[in-house]
Amino acid sequence: MTIALALRLGRWGLVGFSLAALFSVWLQAAGFYRVAGDTPVERAAFGNSILALAGNFVALLPPPIRPDTVGGYVQFRGFNPLAILFAVWALVSATGFARGDEEGGLVETTLATGISRGRLIGARVAAFAIALTIASGCAAVGLVAAIAPAEESVEVAGLFQACLLLVVVGLACYAIALFVAQLFPARAATAAAGAVLLGLFLLNSLSRVFSQLSFWRWLSPFRYYDLSQPLPPGGYFDGRALAVLVLIALVATVAAAVAFGARDVGAPLYAPPRRPHPVSRETRREPFLRYPLLRGLYDRRFGILAWVAGLAVLAVVFVSLTRTIVQVLLSVPNFLPYLSIFVRTQLYPGVLGFTWFNVAQLLFATLAITYVARWAAEDSDGRLELTLSQPISRSAVVLERMAVLATAALVIAVIAGVTLFVASHQQGIDLDAGRVAAASLMLVPFALVFAGAGSLLASWNPRAAVGLLAAFAFLSYLDTELGNVFKLPEWVQDLSAFKLFGSPLVNGVDWGNVILMLVLAAAGLAGSILAMQRRDVGA
Amino acid sequence: MPAPAIRTSRLTKDYGSGRGVFDLELRIGAQEVFGYLGPNGAGKTTTIRLLMGMIRPTSGSAWIYGLDSVRESVAVKRKVGYLPGDVPQFGSMRGDEVVAYLAGMRGGVDARRVRSLAERFDLDLSRRFREYSSGNKQKLAILLAFMHAPELLILDEPTSGLDPLNQQEFYALLGEARDEGATIFLSSHVLSEVQRVSDRVGIIREGRLVQLAQLDELRRIQVHHVEITFGDSDTVPEAAIRDAEGVEDVTVEGQRVACTVHGDFDALLHAIRNAHVVELVSTEPSLEEIFLSHFVKPAPKALPPP
Repeated sequence: MTIALALRLGRWGLVGFSLAALFSVWLQAAGFYRVAGDTPVERAAFGNSILALAGNFVALLPPPIRPDTVGGYVQFRGFNPLAILFAVWALVSATGFARGDEEGGLVETTLATGISRGRLIGARVAAFAIALTIASGCAAVGLVAAIAPAEESVEVAGLFQACLLLVVVGLACYAIALFVAQLFPARAATAAAGAVLLGLFLLNSLSRVFSQLSFWRWLSPFRYYDLSQPLPPGGYFDGRALAVLVLIALVATVAAAVAFGARDVGAPLYAPPRRPHPVSRETRREPFLRYPLLRGLYDRRFGILAWVAGLAVLAVVFVSLTRTIVQVLLSVPNFLPYLSIFVRTQLYPGVLGFTWFNVAQLLFATLAITYVARWAAEDSDGRLELTLSQPISRSAVVLERMAVLATAALVIAVIAGVTLFVASHQQGIDLDAGRVAAASLMLVPFALVFAGAGSLLASWNPRAAVGLLAAFAFLSYLDTELGNVFKLPEWVQDLSAFKLFGSPLVNGVDWGNVILMLVLAAAGLAGSILAMQRRDVGA
Repeated sequence: MPAPAIRTSRLTKDYGSGRGVFDLELRIGAQEVFGYLGPNGAGKTTTIRLLMGMIRPTSGSAWIYGLDSVRESVAVKRKVGYLPGDVPQFGSMRGDEVVAYLAGMRGGVDARRVRSLAERFDLDLSRRFREYSSGNKQKLAILLAFMHAPELLILDEPTSGLDPLNQQEFYALLGEARDEGATIFLSSHVLSEVQRVSDRVGIIREGRLVQLAQLDELRRIQVHHVEITFGDSDTVPEAAIRDAEGVEDVTVEGQRVACTVHGDFDALLHAIRNAHVVELVSTEPSLEEIFLSHFVKPAPKALPPP
């Protein structure tokens, strides 16, 4: 009964991530047959180009094995990214249960029925395991559906092992996030668990580039996922690594249950004694809170600071990675022809533009999604209703939201851009300052495209806004990645903000695309104002 | 002639399946305290959200001081202090930040008035919103509604979550607001509360206004369930109780009498004045029970076939 309830509470995550698994794997596998060629020579050449491309992503994904085969290609571009996606799902789901449901009173109500805390944790973990199994099964279905028309097959055992690995790494991440969430106050639980999972992920992935990290990577569950690549011909499966992952999941689950049993509901495991403070009857005199835009920035000041710090650190890491990666790639003579395909003559800007700005685009899309999630939450928690009970129009609310996001994105982009330039200069990589500035600033209209779409969705149907915007971002990304492979019409490919962003660090700014992004954002904004005027608030 | 504080004309919000508010006609004058009474789900909050322009009417219109509640909503809200039925969630913002945030949107809020309200309700504004108890959250919502001394207060079940002492303080604040010239529209599902503070009462049931009544008319429909326990050696004055005006449904079990009292208690108290009363318990029935006894006419019995 408790497991069924947990599955019901997480049903939209289950549906969304299952569909994402199904379609992403299907698209990658189907895309393979479109671009890899038919003859062994063509496929070998394709495999080499993927190996060269994979060098850019070695800090994110393990290098592929036999990318000239559908199994190797889908392991690299389908299943391995799914492990990251499932880790994000685990984070959201675990912290949502541990602290979100707790704040909403659901945990208290459930415990009042007589169920023990340990059993409640067990039921939630079991429910998530079932959800992961279904989503991984969908990934398998996507692969089988794509290779069946090509009259090829992959080994059933390999496919089963690949799915099993996804389930267990997702479960390990869920249990770790669940444990960490017990230690922190509700408002910090998601950030803390996210930081721990991100740290464990980077510890493993960066250890592929920075050898000094390799001593510590045994701490990361992602390390044990990497030790198997069961899908490609000649791939391998490490049963002991899988057992370690299971052990991590079990230990973290037990630790979470013990911590949950030892703490008060609604409080962290250890709460430092509160310092006595004088009672205040005065209103806050912050000047920021008096003015439009400034009050929104003040409200989100800690989030903006976290984004600024996070992106600045990532920019430094990517500059370091670029230097290392390029040196490794240049040392392999066979890669030189393929490198030239991607970067032509500007080697470092080309690689940095490809790696850093690809990741930065994903992060700015995520930034927009987090803001839209906040807008949707303001609707459901009654803040919007109280805001609109002040003498402020609905269109002003929508405009202010967008202005806050645009300003936050501008601050983050500028600081990340400056950091990128300074770090590059210190590493001896000479970048064109104007192009770094232009490329960094282009991240703002890029984020505004998603914000415009999100604003429209949040104004139209706030409950569905985040899910639909995430799906929009995902499809937009796939449009860029696979639009050319599937020969989609040019105008369909141009709908993707990722495509419109282009490669400004190498090719300069395409002002037509910038204007198109601004037009798309403005259209979303105008649509959201209209939708907001017409809709019922609080009903 | 000045426009009424609130006027609605055939105001309808139809959610389908009989849910919503239908053909509402209201006219509430300036400086009036209007109690809006109805059981859960009757349409009180829907009416209030229509008045506030939060939701759009399916048909009909609402005006606040002559201003259309939808088309001129910004001007309307300059005049209104609003307390929603569910206190909004402000997460980790501190009480003083919430006040400053909303006061900044409104402008012209007197810090001295904020301090006075916070002192009055013993509300610590330095605490984070999520640390507040439900009662303190409600106090903060009251402060936000009253902080700018509005001409019109629209309050959706304002005393829910308040302890009796703070309820008394709230009633006193309401009285002062009225004395200062404010108009008050107050929803509740507690008859005695509305009776205590209102000049006039509107009763809504299943989305339709079933009665508009002055305070003395309201007394007529007031009902209490009463249980009286008499001393063991005393004779129960059963006949006097049965004959007392407004007393119905009398049942006697030993020394205990149960009855229903309509209106005031004078006649009942007179009937038992000479008896030794060990215990007297009076409970107010739910509004639904009151409505069933006063507004629902029994279906006519079918005539027997000739």
